[in-house]
Amino acid sequence: MAVQALSEHTPLADFINHKTNTGMQCGNYSIDLPVLNEGEQYRFHFDATACVGCHCCEVACNEQNANPDEIKWRRVGEMEMGAFPDTLQLFNSMSCNHCIEPACLIGCPTESYVKFDNGIVWHDDPSCIGCQYCTWNCPYEVPTFNADRGIVTKCHMCADKLELGQSPACVQACPSNAIEIEVFNVKQWLEEDMSKEGVAPHLPDVAITKPTTRYTLPKLKEGETLRVADEHLLKPAHAELPLVFMTVLTQVSLGAFLALFLGELLFALGFNLPQPNLTMALLAFIPTAIGLPLSALHLGRPIMALKAMKNWRTSWLSREAIALGAFTGLVSMVALLYYLQKTGVGLLLLEAVTLAVGIYGIYAQSMIYRIKARPSWDRSSTNKKFFGTGYVGFLLITSVLLAYNGTQGAMVLLAITLLAGMAQTFVIFEEMMFYQNLDKEDPLYYQYNRSRILLQEHFTTVKKLRVYSLAIFALALPLLALLFTASGLVGWAMISVLLATLGAFVSELSGRYLFYRTVVPLGLAGNFFAGNQRH
Amino acid sequence: MHFIEKTKAFLGFDIKADKYALVDDPIFGKVAKDKAPDKWVRSTCGYCGVGCGMYIGVKDGKAVYSKGDPLHPVNLGTLCPKGLSEHQMVYANSRVEKPLLRKNAQLTPSSWEETFTHTANEFKRIQAAYGKGSVAVISTGQLLTEEFYALGKFVQLGLQTSNYDGNTTLCMASAVMGYKQTFGSDGPTGCYEDFEKADVIMLIGANIADNHPILKLHIAKNESVTGKKPTIIVIDPRKSKTAQMADIFVPLKPRSDLALINGLCYIILEQGWEDETFIKERTNGYVDFKKHILANYPPQEVAQITGIEVKELYNLAKIYASADAVMSAWTMGVNQSSIGTDTVSAICNLALITGNVGREGASPMSITGQCNAMGTREFGFTSSIPGYRNYASSADRQTFADLINVPVDLIPQKRGYAYPQIIDAINRGEIKALWVVATNPLVSYPDQNALREALKKLEILVVQDAFMSDTAQIADVVFAAATWSEKEGCYTNSERRCNYAQKAVEPLGESKADLDIILAFSAYFEEKHELLFKDLKSAKDVFEEIKRVSKGQLCDYSEMSYEKMETLGGIQWPCNADTPQGTKRLYEKEMPCRTENGKANLLSVSWLPLSEMTSKTLPLMLNTGRTVEQFHTRTKTGTVGILDALAPEAWVDLHPNDAHRLLVGSGDRIALSGSRGRVEDVIVKVSQTVREGNIFVPFHYNEQLINAITLAEFDPKSFEPNYKQCAVQLHSKAVPEGIVYEEIKISGFLEGVKHYEEEVFLEETVQEAKR
Repeated sequence: MAVQALSEHTPLADFINHKTNTGMQCGNYSIDLPVLNEGEQYRFHFDATACVGCHCCEVACNEQNANPDEIKWRRVGEMEMGAFPDTLQLFNSMSCNHCIEPACLIGCPTESYVKFDNGIVWHDDPSCIGCQYCTWNCPYEVPTFNADRGIVTKCHMCADKLELGQSPACVQACPSNAIEIEVFNVKQWLEEDMSKEGVAPHLPDVAITKPTTRYTLPKLKEGETLRVADEHLLKPAHAELPLVFMTVLTQVSLGAFLALFLGELLFALGFNLPQPNLTMALLAFIPTAIGLPLSALHLGRPIMALKAMKNWRTSWLSREAIALGAFTGLVSMVALLYYLQKTGVGLLLLEAVTLAVGIYGIYAQSMIYRIKARPSWDRSSTNKKFFGTGYVGFLLITSVLLAYNGTQGAMVLLAITLLAGMAQTFVIFEEMMFYQNLDKEDPLYYQYNRSRILLQEHFTTVKKLRVYSLAIFALALPLLALLFTASGLVGWAMISVLLATLGAFVSELSGRYLFYRTVVPLGLAGNFFAGNQRH
Repeated sequence: MHFIEKTKAFLGFDIKADKYALVDDPIFGKVAKDKAPDKWVRSTCGYCGVGCGMYIGVKDGKAVYSKGDPLHPVNLGTLCPKGLSEHQMVYANSRVEKPLLRKNAQLTPSSWEETFTHTANEFKRIQAAYGKGSVAVISTGQLLTEEFYALGKFVQLGLQTSNYDGNTTLCMASAVMGYKQTFGSDGPTGCYEDFEKADVIMLIGANIADNHPILKLHIAKNESVTGKKPTIIVIDPRKSKTAQMADIFVPLKPRSDLALINGLCYIILEQGWEDETFIKERTNGYVDFKKHILANYPPQEVAQITGIEVKELYNLAKIYASADAVMSAWTMGVNQSSIGTDTVSAICNLALITGNVGREGASPMSITGQCNAMGTREFGFTSSIPGYRNYASSADRQTFADLINVPVDLIPQKRGYAYPQIIDAINRGEIKALWVVATNPLVSYPDQNALREALKKLEILVVQDAFMSDTAQIADVVFAAATWSEKEGCYTNSERRCNYAQKAVEPLGESKADLDIILAFSAYFEEKHELLFKDLKSAKDVFEEIKRVSKGQLCDYSEMSYEKMETLGGIQWPCNADTPQGTKRLYEKEMPCRTENGKANLLSVSWLPLSEMTSKTLPLMLNTGRTVEQFHTRTKTGTVGILDALAPEAWVDLHPNDAHRLLVGSGDRIALSGSRGRVEDVIVKVSQTVREGNIFVPFHYNEQLINAITLAEFDPKSFEPNYKQCAVQLHSKAVPEGIVYEEIKISGFLEGVKHYEEEVFLEETVQEAKR
């Protein structure tokens, strides 16, 4: 590319190597950084006492990286403390904290994050499939999904520029020199400095990812409440509809398969109960066979879906993809054996393996959501709920039993369904109690409370639907079906079970919908109008 | 998109790596590949008065990048968010690409010829019927100096109407008049370097963090330059972003600044902290001044007026008087006041009695709001004859007439109507035609309802603008103007630095540079064009005439050239044979003031209470101002997505106690009303940055038009409006009738002094505590 020469009156031919007389990093297009010694890395320093909240860094970043307006790799968080005239307006300009234990990297199923030796957490664009799991995992909401590209992108400390001795755009642009690049010793930082200088108001616990940004803060008065500029903005999180269906459907499959396995086991043990059949196996297979591919629809690049299995070492998402993929395959084999009428110990063993894989799959699936960055998900109720949904599968198998005149088996299964339904009800009840009795001293109170507001004020109808439908379809109708079955009214029992199955399925979907929509992530304080990072 | 392409896009085959790639630029390093410029054009920012040097990246004839010039002494490579995204506004949808004429009630694209013919005929008809003065012109601080000069010349000598003023009257006029009465001439005394060299920086009514963020760079440099942290004093009724920098924040009552400054003078004179030598050698009127101050501004009185305790006043006075170098800088908090001119002089008084004028780090400095407010002050031909010449002086008129070769009787002998007087005259029916250049009164002028009524009485409204502003939308004629990057000339910044702005791209569509519009339009006034613009074909021609006109004046351009401006990164006037590189500071020891005896005037200026006080029905005080993301009436910044998303609408800063009274929280919407108008649907931002009973609303927004409420009261000397204080009531859904403050009951009188129950109570508590 031939760039025309500057004006003849311009004293310099280029500005990359020119040093301004600011005597600071700001203003310069080049940066002098010492060579990194053993154990040293680069980091950002942010001086909140110098920042005046001018947003230069945000604009400069977008201009540098040609990002569309709505994508912000650097944002300025706005907070206020104290009473007039001793008011403190506190700004926090933050991009990526280039963490020592980056949650984005650990969770990424495609190994698209690399922690460079110089400390930079680099995102490898071509290998990203746009699953956006990193956008959930990062407690600072740093990675953002670029819909135009179908992938996630994030701040890389202008790594390409830094390598050539050029200043990162934000550092160059700040008129207050509030943003600098520094060299630091990782060991020293982890052992001593991070807990003192790595912390800033409203930011998550540094223990989660061990961020490297160093803060210079004004004197903050102890015990004063922090007012976050975007507190009035409370938008529900993304509905993730493909995931609502995928998770519920795979969980239903696991439940159905568990019922099938129990039937096979009891039959093998000589109980006088009907042996499971092909229809049951198909009913265990179909939901997961529909659900699993559905999940690809939430990806920015569905074509690359299979790559999600790559990082089985650290990513629960990879583990889920592998295990549930295997589970679906194994269930289809089980179905095939029923079709070929090859029953016996071999089948039982295969079913046991399939069940184990399925249980691990749903466990991995639930662990995807056990992340510190999203407090309302990071509760053991998430694991319980995910397994709890399996009772819908019991209902499915019950209907088959009724259709094939296996009323005794149906009664046994209905009894188990009732127990499972009660367990699920209990989990929901525990959650309601939890949100009713939030502890204001809890460091996660801000997020929990916002989840509560979403649940109680934004989704009142869905929440009511969830609670009442659970009582009717998971408890009342199965009980009625049991009564009808015991009284020999198989037709009525059948109708009740089918209704219960359908209703319970809808109830679980609505519960899952609430699960996704009411999560409130940790992160930077937002802007009064623009809010926090978009989701 | 084709179905297959759509499917491919959905499946995610292409991550558009190329679109988001970086590429090496040999001059600035890595840039976004998608808009990698094929040339860089050196220029100057066209937003505010800081005057940052920048490079415009041009790709395929379009402006695509704005980069701070690291060699430019003003900004040293940095730019504010508006400057960084400036290239985006050039291609906004709201640009006016063709001249427009109102036909059948619709603004219709027309040819330049038709537009000029129609307008010229109308002006001629109206002037023939109602006199020359029936055509008025309101200009701006946004044009290039060459354009201001040409416009002024055409209006005053071609159209021969003196009813010509700029929107600078809404922002800088008080500084102009204040400097004139103190130093004998307009002209900001200091420079940005003073921020780096001062021991004490006193920012009064100046929210630089929002309005001039690049000045923070110079304050940030101070420590490394002086070797110690400067003491920063911020005087503001609001805890603004700027106030966060303060070592001492002085939360004075609204518009009590003049009293505060006079009070500080009192303490300094009382304590003998004044600089006697400086006063003796460099000032006039000390005896009267001292008498005035000591008679009227004792600390107790000042504490009453300002709400600042006596102890704190002494502390401030001591810090100010004992520092080696004090820089005092102000902006609209001081200027936009009905006593703005005198407040400017008061600030100068304080600097003069302590010898803080004309030295490094020591100057009373007005910061201008617009990129070329200074240009219109110097050569705009509004409040003075070009080159800071006086209308009243026959010698000045004669010199000017000779210099530009016109008959002397063509030069007006006095200033015509100022901006508010023009509006009044329109209302009276005296002015029938108005030509508005690059300003948007329909958002920026106070008391909008009255203004809009007045404008209806015009026979023709001509708007010359690059954007389809609110005012352009009601115009009869729109001259499609070019904007920043599309034209050549110079801007003068707050520190008298003339910066050269190179043309980078061609004007959009059929729009023309303002200079070309003026030159072409003047051709429809045949003999006048011949008389005034015969030899002026380009910006450079005009610049050469400006150099001649300015020679020997304070704003001396005589040794400047475009090339030299580029090489030096702008030149501060006066720039003449003695000071070929320009002059950093005015009134250094060897430089006399422009008064009769060369000494500065100490003026006995007086504080006056607000004419519109809060009352039972209008119990809150409204303050207006700006925010960093937006510029003026948003015709430019409103079109830049990233800026607009951060501040898309006006808000009202409301103290939590007042919010509680209205039963609202942040995010709720309320209405504001005053005695002149009402504004609906303003979002509440509960904040402790304002005092209880005080609110702040930014003025940029046409949807929440706060100037429908502001007071059209003007400084009698500068004609600047008192934008910043007026009484209002707030109305929420829950409390539609608004706030009612409980009156403090008077408990009794003691020797003619009122005692409020609260105070009695306090005394009792003190007594009890003592026991």
